[in-house]
Amino acid sequence: MHTKTTLRLLTLGTTLFAGIACADPLKVALVETLSGPSAATGQMFRAATRFQIERLNAEGGWNGEPIQLIELDSQGTPAGASEKLKAAIGSGAQMIVQGASSVAAGQITEDVRKYNLRNKGKEVVFLNVGGEALELTGSKCHFYHFRFNGNAPIRVKTLVVAMKEAGALGSKVYSMNQNYSWGLDMEKAITENAATGGYQLVGKSLHDTQKVQDFSPYIARIQASGAETVLTGNWGNDLLLLMKASRSAGLKLRFGTAFLDQPGNLANAGDVALGHYVSHPFNIEAAGEEGERFATQYQASTGHLPAYIEPQTVFALQMVGNVLKKLPAQDGRLNTRSFALALEKASDSNPLGEVRMRTEDHQLLMPFVVSVVSKEARYKVDGTDMGFLPIKSFSADEAAAPVQDTCQMQRPE
Amino acid sequence: MKLTKILLAVLLLALLVLPAILPAAMVNAAIQMLIAALFACAFNLLCGQGGMLSFGHAAYFGVGSFATLHAMNALNGEGLLPTPLLPLIGALGGFICGLCAGWFATKRAGVYFSMITLALAELLHSLAPHLSMLFGGEAGISSMRSPAWGLDFGDATQVYYLTLGWVVLSIALLYAFTLTPMGRLTFALRENGHRLQFLGYNVHRLRVLVFALSAMFAGIAGGLQALNLESANYVLFDMRFSAEVVLNTYIGGVNVFLGPVLGAALMTFFGNAASDLTQSWLLYQGLLFVLVMMFMPSGLAGLVLCWSAQIRRRGWLAVIPAALSALITAGLLSLAVVFAIETLQRVFSQDYQALLIADQPWPAISLFGREWLPGALLTWAMPLLLGLAGLLVLKLARRQWLRLLDDEPAAGPVALRSRVEGEQS
Amino acid sequence: MEFLTVSLLNGVIYGLLLFMVSAGLTLIFGMMGVLNFAHASFYMVGAYLAYTLQKFVGFTSAVLLSTVLVGLLGVIVERFFLRRVHKHGHAHELLLTFGLTFIIAELIKLFYGNFSVEYRIPEFLNFAAFQVFNTDYPFYRLLMGGVSLLVFGLIYLLLTRTRVGIVVRAAIHRPQMAEALGHNVPLVFMAVFGIGAALAGLAGALAGAFYTTNPNMALELGVIVFVVVVVGGLGSMAGAMIASLLIGLISSFAVGVDLSLASLFGLLGAGDWAQQMGGLMTLKVSSVAATIPFALMLLILLIRPSGLMGEKG
Repeated sequence: MHTKTTLRLLTLGTTLFAGIACADPLKVALVETLSGPSAATGQMFRAATRFQIERLNAEGGWNGEPIQLIELDSQGTPAGASEKLKAAIGSGAQMIVQGASSVAAGQITEDVRKYNLRNKGKEVVFLNVGGEALELTGSKCHFYHFRFNGNAPIRVKTLVVAMKEAGALGSKVYSMNQNYSWGLDMEKAITENAATGGYQLVGKSLHDTQKVQDFSPYIARIQASGAETVLTGNWGNDLLLLMKASRSAGLKLRFGTAFLDQPGNLANAGDVALGHYVSHPFNIEAAGEEGERFATQYQASTGHLPAYIEPQTVFALQMVGNVLKKLPAQDGRLNTRSFALALEKASDSNPLGEVRMRTEDHQLLMPFVVSVVSKEARYKVDGTDMGFLPIKSFSADEAAAPVQDTCQMQRPE
Repeated sequence: MKLTKILLAVLLLALLVLPAILPAAMVNAAIQMLIAALFACAFNLLCGQGGMLSFGHAAYFGVGSFATLHAMNALNGEGLLPTPLLPLIGALGGFICGLCAGWFATKRAGVYFSMITLALAELLHSLAPHLSMLFGGEAGISSMRSPAWGLDFGDATQVYYLTLGWVVLSIALLYAFTLTPMGRLTFALRENGHRLQFLGYNVHRLRVLVFALSAMFAGIAGGLQALNLESANYVLFDMRFSAEVVLNTYIGGVNVFLGPVLGAALMTFFGNAASDLTQSWLLYQGLLFVLVMMFMPSGLAGLVLCWSAQIRRRGWLAVIPAALSALITAGLLSLAVVFAIETLQRVFSQDYQALLIADQPWPAISLFGREWLPGALLTWAMPLLLGLAGLLVLKLARRQWLRLLDDEPAAGPVALRSRVEGEQS
Repeated sequence: MEFLTVSLLNGVIYGLLLFMVSAGLTLIFGMMGVLNFAHASFYMVGAYLAYTLQKFVGFTSAVLLSTVLVGLLGVIVERFFLRRVHKHGHAHELLLTFGLTFIIAELIKLFYGNFSVEYRIPEFLNFAAFQVFNTDYPFYRLLMGGVSLLVFGLIYLLLTRTRVGIVVRAAIHRPQMAEALGHNVPLVFMAVFGIGAALAGLAGALAGAFYTTNPNMALELGVIVFVVVVVGGLGSMAGAMIASLLIGLISSFAVGVDLSLASLFGLLGAGDWAQQMGGLMTLKVSSVAATIPFALMLLILLIRPSGLMGEKG
C-alpha cells in the first residue's frame, strides 16, 4: 500500500514536471473513469493494470528499468479523456490503456490517430482493453489501436452456440438492448445469428440507457411475444432490473447476457440470477490449474479473485510485456512503430488458451467461455453461494468474428 | 481602480508567457481553464446580471461545439473561415439556438424559467444520440484543425494562444456590454422586471436578447472546445456540465464581473489536479460549494473585494494578522477534513476490506507517506485534534475580523454582501 | 388486451411510487418556495439505511426506522443548512441543496462502495398476489402501491381536516401573517421538511429492495421527480398524485408503442419520404420512452405554467 501512494505521488510529480525528466523509463498511462457515477468499472481496470505492471516490473521491467504507470482520471467524459490523454503524452507516456467506456475509447482512439499523424516518429499506442463498440475495429480502426477484448458478434455467437448445445436456447428469442451503439451492435448480431441458432426472433426492443427504473412494461411485452429466451447486451442496473422484473412477474425466461459477471450483480439479484448464461473472456474454473494459479496470485495481490474485465486486462498487458521483451531500446527509448509492427503479428497464451493479434484490424482473437450461474460452480462470487459454472469453451478461432469491411487501415511503409 | 488595471495587465502578461514556463502536460489544463472561464462569464450575463438562473446552459455550449465541428469538416479551414475564425460559427449556432430556446424560456420567470431550461437541455440530451446526422450518434463527430495563416495548429501552444485571444476578446466584449444602455437594462431586469415593463420597455424581447447573447458567448466557448478537442459528442449536453457552470459561477461570485472567471478557472484546476490524487474529489467539490453557499454568499470574488476594502481602509499591516489567522483556520480545518475522509475512504474501500482476516487487528493504511493503524487511537484523534485546533483559531480569526470592522454595526454576512454589491454598482 | 391490463397495473403502481417521493418535494416547495435538489438523495439514503438496519432489526422495523432517521436528516438539513442561507434568497437555497446532493452521493460511495448492494425483498413478502393472464403479479408491488395510497390519504386528511393542517396551509400561503398570529412558522417549516424527507426515505426503503440499491439511484430518479412536481403544479398534493400516475402510465405504455413520426406520415401517404429522412422521423416511441416526460413537462410549462393543479403561477 505504501509503495502505491509514493508511486502515485511520484507519477503526479512527473506529470507536472515532465519537461525536466530526461532519463526515459517506459511510461504507460491509464486514462480511466476513476470518479463519479461510473467509477466502479474504471477502478477495476486500474486494479488489473497495477497488478500486471507490478508483475512485469518484478520480471525486470523493460530496458533495465521498471515500467512506470501513470494513472489519470478522465472523470467519465470524452473531454476529460482527451485532456488527460494529452497530459499523459505530455509527460512522456508511450502507451495508453483505457477500457471502461466506449465513448472515451472512441475519443482516445481518434486523438491518438491525430497525434500520430502530426508527430511522426513520436507515435503513441492505444491499448484498448474494454471498449467493445464495433467501429473501433471498423470505420475507426487505425494502425496504433489494438483491441484486447470481445465485441458483440463474438459474444452473441458464443452464447447462441453454447446455449443451443445445452438445450437452453429454445426456438423463440427476444432481443433486449440499450439504445446506443453497443446495444445496436448486439441487436444486429442477434438478428444475424438466427440461422446458426435455429431460432425465431420474436421481438426486439431498444430502451434508454441507464434511465429506466421500471422494466415491468418491457417484461409484459416480452411475455406477449411468447419468447423463451432473452438475449441482451444490457449491463449494470439495466441488466439487474430487467432480470428482477422478469422474476417478479413469475416468468420462466432464460437470459443470455454479456455482462452478468459484473461484481455485485449476483449479490443483488440473488436467486433470480440462477440458470442464466453469460459469455465472457475468462472463467477461472474453465482454465484449469493454470487459471487457478493465476487467480490465487491475483487474489494475493489485490484482495479479490479476478472477475469481469480484470482477466482480459491482465492478459492484454502480459501480451504487451512479452512483445516488449523481444524489442531492444532505440536511443534509450521504445520505438513505438516497431512495437506496433511486432504486436500486430504477435501471439501469446493465457490460461484459457492461445491468443493471436489479427493483423487486418488489430482485434485480438481470444478464447471465450460461456458459463451459467449455478450453485455448483467452484468459485462463488460476491459472498453468495452461486458462481459461474463453465459449460463450453471456445478457442480463439472458434470465437472469432470476421473482419469488418469498413476497416481500411493505413499502415506505415 | 488604478490598482485593478495594473493587476489585470499583470495577469494578461502572465497568461501570455505561460506556455513558455508550463510543462507540456499542463498547457492543456490551462486551455480548459480558459474555456471554462469564458463559459462561466457568458453564463453570468444571464444568471448574475440578468437574474435568470438557467439549468441547461450546456446545451448552447454543446451546440456551439457541434456547429464549429461541422464547419471545420465542411470548409476544411479554407475559404472565408480559416481555422482561427471558426468559433464565429459556434457563436452563430449558440445565438440562433439561444433565440429559439430563449423565446420559450423567458416567457416564464423564476423557478419556472429554470425548469424550462432544464427540460430543454434534457430533451436535447436524450434525443441527441439518436440524431446521428446532426450529432454523430453516440460516437460524436470528429475533425482536424487545418493549417491557416502560416500556422499549423498542431501543438497545444498554438491552440493555447488562439484560445487566449478569443477568451480575452469575448470577456472584454461581455464587459463592454455591461456599460451599454442595454447592459444597464439587464441589471434592471434582475432587480425589477415589472417596473421596467411599466417604464415602457418590452421586457420579453429584452430577456430573449440577453438569453441569446449569453448563449452566443457560450457557443464561442463551445467552439473553442471543439477546436481544442477536435471532436464532440452528445455527452456535452449532460446535466452535469450545466450544473458545473452554475457551481463555478456561484463559487466565483455572481455579483462581480470577473467573479465567475475566477471561480471557473480555480474549480477547473482543482478538478484537474484533485481527480488524479483522490477518487473522492467530487466530495471535496461538494463540500467546497456548500461552504461557499453558507458562509460566503457572494463567492470568492466577494471575499477578495471584502479584504481589499479593508486593506484600503486600514493598510496592509493592520489586516495581515487577521488574514494570517484566517488562512491558518482554513488550512487546519481542511487538513482535518481531508484526513478524516481519506482515512475513511481507505478503510471502507473494497480492496482493503478484502484484506481483513477475522479476529485479527486491521492492517495499517498509508496516508501522507505514513502508516496509520485503523485500530490506533491516534489515527482518529488526529483529525479531531486538527479540527479542534482549527476551530480555536477560527474563534481568534473571528475576533480579529470583528475588530477590523469595529466601527460598523452588525457585521454579519448580510452587511458584507450589501457592501460587496455596493462595490461594483 | 393482456398487454393493456398488465401495463395499466404496472403504470399505476410505478406512478404511486413516484408519488411517494414527489409528495415531499411538492410539499416543501409549496411551503418554502425551495426546489429541493437533495430530495432524491433522501430517497437513496432511505434505501441504504434500510439495507444496513435490516441485518440487525429485520425488514419491517428497518423500513420504519430508516423513515424516521431520514426525517431527522431532513430536519437537520433544514435547521442547520437551509435556514442559514434563507436570507440570501431562493437561488442560494436551491444551490445549497444542489451541493448537498454531491456530498450525499459521494458519502454513500465512500461507505458502501460503487456497486449495488445486496438489498432484496424479504422472503415473507416475496410471493405472488394473484395471476393476470397466467403471469404472477408480485404482492410487493401491491404493497408499495398500498403504502403510497395510505400516505396520500393521511397527508390529505392531515392538511384538510386538522388544526395542524390549517396552520400549515396558512404558513404556506402567508408565512408573515401566520407568524404574526403567533404560530411558530420556522418550526412548521422544519416539520414539513422533515416529513417530506421522511416520505422520500420511506419510498427509498421500500423501492430499494424491489429495484436496486446503488449509488446512482438518486440520479436516476431525481430528474423524473422534478418532472412530476412541475407537471402536477408546484405545491399541489393532488396535482402530484395525478402527475405521478400520468407519468407512470406514460412510461409504462410508451415502451409498447413501436410507432414513429414516419408511421404518422405513413397515414398521410408520405411514409416513404419520412423513412428516407431518417433522424427524428424514424425514432420509435418505445426507444425514447424516457424522453417523453421531459416533452410533457415542457408542454405543461408553456401552456399552463402553474401545472395541472397548481395555484401559484
